[in-house]
Amino acid sequence: MSTFVILFATAVLSFAIRSRSVLKLLVLAALLAAGYAAIDAVPLGLSHFGSDQAITLFEIVLLVVMAAVVLSEEENINITQTLFLGAASVALLESQSFLTFVLSFEALSIISFVLVSNIKNREAAIGAVKMFVSGALATALIVLGSAFYLFEGHDLNAPLQEVGVYGTVGLWIMLVGIFYKLTIVPMHTWAADSYAQIRPSHAAILSGMVKSVAVVGVFMTFMPFLLQQNSLNLPVLVMLALVTMTLGNFMALFQKQVGKILSYSSIAHAGYMLLAFVAVKSAYAPVAIFYIAIAYIFMQTALFMLLDKAGKGSSSVTLDDLKGLGTKDKTMALLFTVQLFSLAGIPLLAGFLSKAVLVYAVVDVGLPLVALATLLNSALSVAYYAWIVKHIYFDEPAKHSALGSLRVSGFAAQAILLSGTLYFGLFATTVFDLFV
Amino acid sequence: MGALYLIFLPIFLALPLYLLGRNFGVVKYIALTLFVYMLTQSVALYGQLPEAGYLDLGSYLSVPAFDFVLSLQVDRLSVIMLLLTSVMLILVGLSSWRMKMEDAYFALLVFFSGAIFGVFMSTNFLWFFIFWELTLIPMYFLVGIWGAEGRIYAAVKFFLYTHVASMLILLAFFLIYKQSGTFDMTMVKESMLMTPALIWWLMFVGFAVKMPLFPFHTWLPDAHVQAPAPVSALLAGVLLKMGAYAMIRMVILMMPEQAAAYGWVILSVGLVSLFFAGFMALHESHLKKMVAYSSISHMGLVAIAISTLSFDGLSAALFEMIGHAFIISPLFLIAGFIHHRTGSWQMGDMGGLMQRAPYLSALFVLSGLAALGLPGTMGFIGEITILISTIQAHGVWMIIILLGSMLAAGYLIYSFRRVIYGEMSPLIRESDFSMPKMEFLSLLLFGLLIIVFGLYPQPLFEMINQAFQSYFSAGGLS
Repeated sequence: MSTFVILFATAVLSFAIRSRSVLKLLVLAALLAAGYAAIDAVPLGLSHFGSDQAITLFEIVLLVVMAAVVLSEEENINITQTLFLGAASVALLESQSFLTFVLSFEALSIISFVLVSNIKNREAAIGAVKMFVSGALATALIVLGSAFYLFEGHDLNAPLQEVGVYGTVGLWIMLVGIFYKLTIVPMHTWAADSYAQIRPSHAAILSGMVKSVAVVGVFMTFMPFLLQQNSLNLPVLVMLALVTMTLGNFMALFQKQVGKILSYSSIAHAGYMLLAFVAVKSAYAPVAIFYIAIAYIFMQTALFMLLDKAGKGSSSVTLDDLKGLGTKDKTMALLFTVQLFSLAGIPLLAGFLSKAVLVYAVVDVGLPLVALATLLNSALSVAYYAWIVKHIYFDEPAKHSALGSLRVSGFAAQAILLSGTLYFGLFATTVFDLFV
Repeated sequence: MGALYLIFLPIFLALPLYLLGRNFGVVKYIALTLFVYMLTQSVALYGQLPEAGYLDLGSYLSVPAFDFVLSLQVDRLSVIMLLLTSVMLILVGLSSWRMKMEDAYFALLVFFSGAIFGVFMSTNFLWFFIFWELTLIPMYFLVGIWGAEGRIYAAVKFFLYTHVASMLILLAFFLIYKQSGTFDMTMVKESMLMTPALIWWLMFVGFAVKMPLFPFHTWLPDAHVQAPAPVSALLAGVLLKMGAYAMIRMVILMMPEQAAAYGWVILSVGLVSLFFAGFMALHESHLKKMVAYSSISHMGLVAIAISTLSFDGLSAALFEMIGHAFIISPLFLIAGFIHHRTGSWQMGDMGGLMQRAPYLSALFVLSGLAALGLPGTMGFIGEITILISTIQAHGVWMIIILLGSMLAAGYLIYSFRRVIYGEMSPLIRESDFSMPKMEFLSLLLFGLLIIVFGLYPQPLFEMINQAFQSYFSAGGLS
């Protein structure tokens, strides 16, 4: 059985299981089986889907992150939805035609809407509605763009082909729709609120898992178009990338709610990821996009999950609440710090090498000023990551703060994610050997 | 493999020391043992060095597609820095013996020791950068947690300022790789580069921030003033030297043509740093800030020596760097101790310390006199050799750097009058100056080093000269 089938079947089966412990055991076993299937490159079973070594690596990373999410999750329905998301993610990653890409991408979006519709309070409802409305708009744009593309007579069941005027317009309309979901400025406005208002464990899946999968899928699918129309696309993509990272970083500087900081950081990271689209002509661009997606999925998922535990499921944890965490809960403080430093691009952690390759790819295509702007942005981001760490370690403990703590399963989940951040911070060869 | 342990053992040991240290109370002993071990290994490395060139210590974690290889190689220049770092770590460790939350503090020192060894042992630009950045992390926490009232501002400013500078360095390294196809600093030649001037400027500014040279120095007075005294000593004795080391190795030795073209820039910022910081120190009434500006002023002197691009100048610069580490550190330690006991930084509140704490005062005077270049101390040797080499390179007008020494004499002797001599102030009278033995031992050792290398600089100079000989063997930088 293929990875997709195992995940999908387990997701369906999970509806029938009441006991959370049994469900978790079953899902972990299924993830293990799915991992074996990915390594053995078992085909998905449908035409126009396929895999290679890079996709296999990313699928394994995805399954590892899913294992962490499942271990940490406390609601059966969320575990089920994580499995559906995993299945859709595998489909997206393995899609090899225009049609399968669009369908998988939309499946991923729809399951995301279902995930956030598990609403517990007014804030979460607002976040979910914002996400749904912007998602619907994005879908409309993707469909419209597809129509323009098809108008030129292209084959749905083939990868993107060389395009003329209508095709170019269509693919750009599609990209605008996709950029909504990837939170590229100015299509980002929903994300800052949604990620910060929905339950942090949901934000972990959406901002960490879904975004990483989506960006890799989009890059692989649109690569022929980006290469063909490079001179036309380049100025727009450079501008979008720089504006996205700069705005994301500046907005994060002024936030007091930790979820909001992470949301804006997520937007800034979308800007960094877009640099791989800018540097598509470099041999390092595919390495860069895979590397940053892998690093990001570990870091961002870990941080939102930590926030979920700290806020006991609430998204309202503020910087003041984190004061003195370093003395109150050494383990949680350390986990926060390591993942934040990784996001900041501090070496020996995955965030550094992934950004380094990305920036080098930009230098490689002859854009040193864009690289400089990116590096300065990264330095700017250190201000708010270091500011969170400052609250954790340098400030006296907050008197009225009653943060939650990690239980064994939460700790195990964090240990898995931390291993990923450390492993890909040291052993770059795992990713490089697949491409260059 | 042994070399790899020297770097990664401390880095990975830091975490268990931090998490488990409190239960056993042995972290500082482990740390000190480790630092002594690092010193013995550095001495052993010095003994194994070839006459010229690098000693290969192995390559690890290779990613050939990106030339991202942890190549560990050392030459005389880097081993001298390893020796200096090890000695400083031991002395700083001793002077921190009674630090609060000692488990976490020493765990961070241990982490720092691994990272800084990585800086001096790595010859791959990317790995050099990784270790360079890693040194920031423990420093951020050491200043932010153990510092004085304004520690948070100082820690964040230090972190951001130096991180931004690091981004320029990283871009320079990427441009080098793009143009030369290698991250190996032993292979890169200036002639391989298409935009050497751009790369030179990026590295120069990046390293000038760390040294720090005017106008990139503003993070240092804050960091020094707010940091606990042993951390100030570490900043001055090791971290700033890291900037000067990189400046010599990459900005001068690796890119001699650009260095020759822009030597006047290094000379100018060196002169401005020397005088600007000197005047600021003269103006200061805050004891530790005065020492901090004195530190910047001396690093200006190092930059002036570097700007000569000559064998004598670089040797003098390296001697001054070592001297500066041994001279400025006890000044910081004593300033911190006085503040700890009196609660004041203001020299106006002090006076008559000699009557209350004669040994401590004597060590302060000795270090101060060494800083202003008194014969018989390391300060004199450093300054006189810099003076001679700069006059040889730039002309007789370089005699003006003596004015810098005069300024130093001004602010240091003035500080003696206000702190050590004069009428005993009520604050000094009421304070207890009994010093813990370990802290006093570290001060004594600093004093001893200042005098020993001041009276007998020959062995140190021989080591330093050998470090630069291979670069100048063909009659000049090539």
